[in-house]
Amino acid sequence: MTKKRNREAFLYILPCLIVLGLFVYYPLIMNIVYSFHSFTLSSSTKDFVGLANFRKLFSDKIILTSLMNNVLYAVISVIIQVGFGLVLAAVLEDRVFQKVSPFFRTTYFIPTLLSMTVVCLLFRFIYNPQMGLLNSFLKLVGLDGLTNIWLGKSKIAMYAVIAVSQWQSTGYVTMLFIVAIQKIPRDLYEAAEMDGAGKIRQFFCITVPQVRQMWFVTMVITVVGAFTVFNEPYILTGGGPGTSTMTLALHMYQTGVVKNDMGYASTIAMLIFLITAVLSSIQFFTFGGKEDE
Amino acid sequence: MRLKKLAAAAAAVSFAFALSACGGSSASSDSANDNSQAADTNTEASGDQVVINFFHRWPNDPKNTMFKNLIAKYEEENPNVKINMDCILNDQYKEKIRMIVGTDEVPDIFSSWSGSFAKEMIDSGNVLDLTSVFEDDPEWADTIADVSKGPFTFDGKLMAVPWSQDGKAFFYNKRIFEENGLEVPKTWDEFINVLDKLKAAGYETPITEGLKDQWAILHYLGTMNQRMVDPEVLAADYDPATGEFTDPAYVDVLEKWQQLTSYMGEVATAIDHETARNTYFATEESPIMYLQFAEINIMKDAVNFDYGFFNFPAFSEGKGDPNALTGAPEGFMISNKAKNRDECIKFLKWLVSVDGGAVALTTEAGDLTSVKGAITAENALPAQIEALETIDSASQMAPWFDNACDASIYTVFGQGASAIASGDETPEQVMTAVQAAASELRAKQ
Repeated sequence: MTKKRNREAFLYILPCLIVLGLFVYYPLIMNIVYSFHSFTLSSSTKDFVGLANFRKLFSDKIILTSLMNNVLYAVISVIIQVGFGLVLAAVLEDRVFQKVSPFFRTTYFIPTLLSMTVVCLLFRFIYNPQMGLLNSFLKLVGLDGLTNIWLGKSKIAMYAVIAVSQWQSTGYVTMLFIVAIQKIPRDLYEAAEMDGAGKIRQFFCITVPQVRQMWFVTMVITVVGAFTVFNEPYILTGGGPGTSTMTLALHMYQTGVVKNDMGYASTIAMLIFLITAVLSSIQFFTFGGKEDE
Repeated sequence: MRLKKLAAAAAAVSFAFALSACGGSSASSDSANDNSQAADTNTEASGDQVVINFFHRWPNDPKNTMFKNLIAKYEEENPNVKINMDCILNDQYKEKIRMIVGTDEVPDIFSSWSGSFAKEMIDSGNVLDLTSVFEDDPEWADTIADVSKGPFTFDGKLMAVPWSQDGKAFFYNKRIFEENGLEVPKTWDEFINVLDKLKAAGYETPITEGLKDQWAILHYLGTMNQRMVDPEVLAADYDPATGEFTDPAYVDVLEKWQQLTSYMGEVATAIDHETARNTYFATEESPIMYLQFAEINIMKDAVNFDYGFFNFPAFSEGKGDPNALTGAPEGFMISNKAKNRDECIKFLKWLVSVDGGAVALTTEAGDLTSVKGAITAENALPAQIEALETIDSASQMAPWFDNACDASIYTVFGQGASAIASGDETPEQVMTAVQAAASELRAKQ
């Protein structure tokens, strides 16, 4: 009886397994195989090259640049999206802002609904050094000294690219935190208030620990997102000036599609996979495992 | 896994460009506002209707409109033919056609650059040999300029129908040159001298360029390499099997590049070629810009001053032919997977003829057609006639850099040159990277 039921259950998840296998696990395994080969987009044969592609990873200067940029992306995203996002959520959920909070919630969430491509094209106008909104605005308020060639200087171009993602994604993370905060029992706050805890104390002693589960989710989303970021640098700068805004995903794409070296591109894909897998596991085992507490 | 996802994302990005730019499909059918149909493959042929999928790289007007009109005209004359047009701009086009040329999704007719790009397309094994098409119809074949056929000939086989020819020269503002008593420079030193004088006369960016566009950088580097490096060394270096790039002349080239970019202003690295043309050259803020003849027509309305051309000046220490002109023809290829091969050939022959699209290409879209006798003083701008004469008077045509060597070389070159312009790398560092890329490429041959 139970056996039969098990078999039935298996039948129900079969479609899901097939789709997953076909579109996730099969390509993943093929990618591992490809990373040991050398081939181009249009070639019909693949030459086995052993570890040559992996050795190249260590001598490739762009990999280092990309990694640094991805790390920068991750750090800034965690600080702004997760850190600032939580503060924003806590402020919006406060009783003082009850009346206006739906308006702000919506406002902050709107960028998330826009297509990344549209957002990036929009920011190309904003960053335009001659007639862009940002420089015009800075000049208007008398901050001429702060105007800059945002996407044309290698030292600041990466920050300009990262800023676009923050603008777009903070609202989304804030929304997730708002949901989490709404689930916190009100009496905790009331009790704390009775005991004389101020708003800031309440935030750190009640809100932060209570939304820990959501921390885990948002950290995974932002960090993994930061290591696979592609659209923003591709559309805004194309990796330039030079290779200063190159990210791993963009480097992989350029290697595969532009330089036509699919084997090495697969190896870079493996690196990205490894990094994201390790980071998600670390976060899973440190934050995610304590659900039952 | 991620690769596929990203490739798909990239394709989606490209499509977004294509769709926003193309407007509807060229088809005059009532479903023309459904953009996605333009990208559909051979599935919608019904009855005796012949469907031709046509993919090119000109989503911008006036070319896009010109193609739409031409196709509408052709469809009217040949009611049994329906042509699905799809287009994406340059770099994205390159990436997408590379991705699909080796697959069954290859379009029936697609545009191609000459030289190494054409070779790459042909190596996919999906390009139809058109030699017999030319042999069977000498009357039509003779109208096409021979200078355009060479770069599409591989192993004695003509693999594409040449459609346009183009060259690159410095365009200069005649009024500003006159006011400052300047003459057209013949050598690099004279050129730098001119730039200095213009700067002294108050032109902060005497020469402009949009260095965000890698192809724009590569156009410079291609010409400069050709002028500077010994032709034999250059030919060996551009060959994937023998390329070394160890000649010190390349470092010279990049040093000259560094010198030149110092006149382009800080903004150059943040803007693209079109922005540079529209906001610097057309507004007379920058008197000199390195432009293609194909841009003459685009500037027709924006530019209200007289301009002339001069070829890239000679390097005194250069070993290459100083009278060569950088430029190349472009053409159309037919896939050997095309279902209606004869219809495709018929359409292309019509498109590349005086009665078909050849005149419109020059008069409406501003490119110099490959068809002899299509451009006359009556139907073309004087600048276009002058440009055609410049092409004729050049001792030889030197291919675009990105058509002359492998992508793994020119990408490194271009990124390096961009880093030099933004002050992040030195010419020596860039050449070390290029040499590494070249040795890797050699190992693969």
